[in-house]
Amino acid sequence: MAYTDKVIEHFEHSRNVGTLDKDDPNVGTGLVGAPACGDVMRLQLKITDDGTIQDAKFKTFGCGSAIASSSLVTEWVKGKSIEDAVKITNKEIAKELSLPPVKIHCSVLAEDAIKAAIKDFQEKRAKRLGPAAAASETR
Amino acid sequence: MDYFELYGIPRSAELDVKALEQRFRELSLEVHPDRLVGADAHARRVAAEKTASLNEGVRVLKDPVRRALYLLKLKGVDLESEQAAAKLQMPLEFLEEIMGRREALEGVKVKRDLDRAHAMAAEIRTARDAHLAQAKAALEKDDVPAATQALGRLRYYARFLEEVDAFEEELLS
Repeated sequence: MAYTDKVIEHFEHSRNVGTLDKDDPNVGTGLVGAPACGDVMRLQLKITDDGTIQDAKFKTFGCGSAIASSSLVTEWVKGKSIEDAVKITNKEIAKELSLPPVKIHCSVLAEDAIKAAIKDFQEKRAKRLGPAAAASETR
Repeated sequence: MDYFELYGIPRSAELDVKALEQRFRELSLEVHPDRLVGADAHARRVAAEKTASLNEGVRVLKDPVRRALYLLKLKGVDLESEQAAAKLQMPLEFLEEIMGRREALEGVKVKRDLDRAHAMAAEIRTARDAHLAQAKAALEKDDVPAATQALGRLRYYARFLEEVDAFEEELLS
């Protein structure tokens, strides 16, 4: 099956591959896997105290579509507020990359990774500041 | 009719592969085209369908992983379908372990260290066999959640082993 140009572009020139310090209180880490294909994807977001995504890095072991989906979302989330970032759906990712139906799960993985990274950030924050403070600050 | 019924063997994660293959040959002969000379179109179609089921059945039942996944599917969880697999949440520690191993393998590939890659593959095979055994035991006890969790790991292990194979081919080519 042929990959689309956008998938190949993100696969060959992946954006933002790498890691951020997972112990940094401002870094949220999302780690997700796809049991159907055995792919794993890690997405890390550096989030400012006012809830803006400053930086994003990913590492994906998977097919071209999984790599392209994660590369694309690192570009999309940068500069966004976490409220806007959680609204990114797999449909938008799949549409942008013109993923065929058998590769839709790759975009689902990327969406789940964003949500998991933000959840991790919020949980870390709640632990650090107490749940009430964390809730009011990210509102 | 499921594949166990098709072959007339008990629904179990353990089976005698030799006996299965023997049964496959016998049943295949019964629907062989040579036996259908002069038969009508309907009979031919039925025979062709049965042949296809026998072929697919033996492929699934012969392989211990496919067989276990098939048994789980008969119990209502189809890990080979996108939706069901997507719903399966693996423990974070497991995903961290897989991520760590894949990253380590990446480093080994850069160093072109095939011996280390083989050693890593051996560890993965041990883990795979242990979880397959767990899954079989869980299937026998009808413990679907435990079987699902154990079988959910197998694709990750299989992917890792495919990577090692690909690396080996790359080095030897």
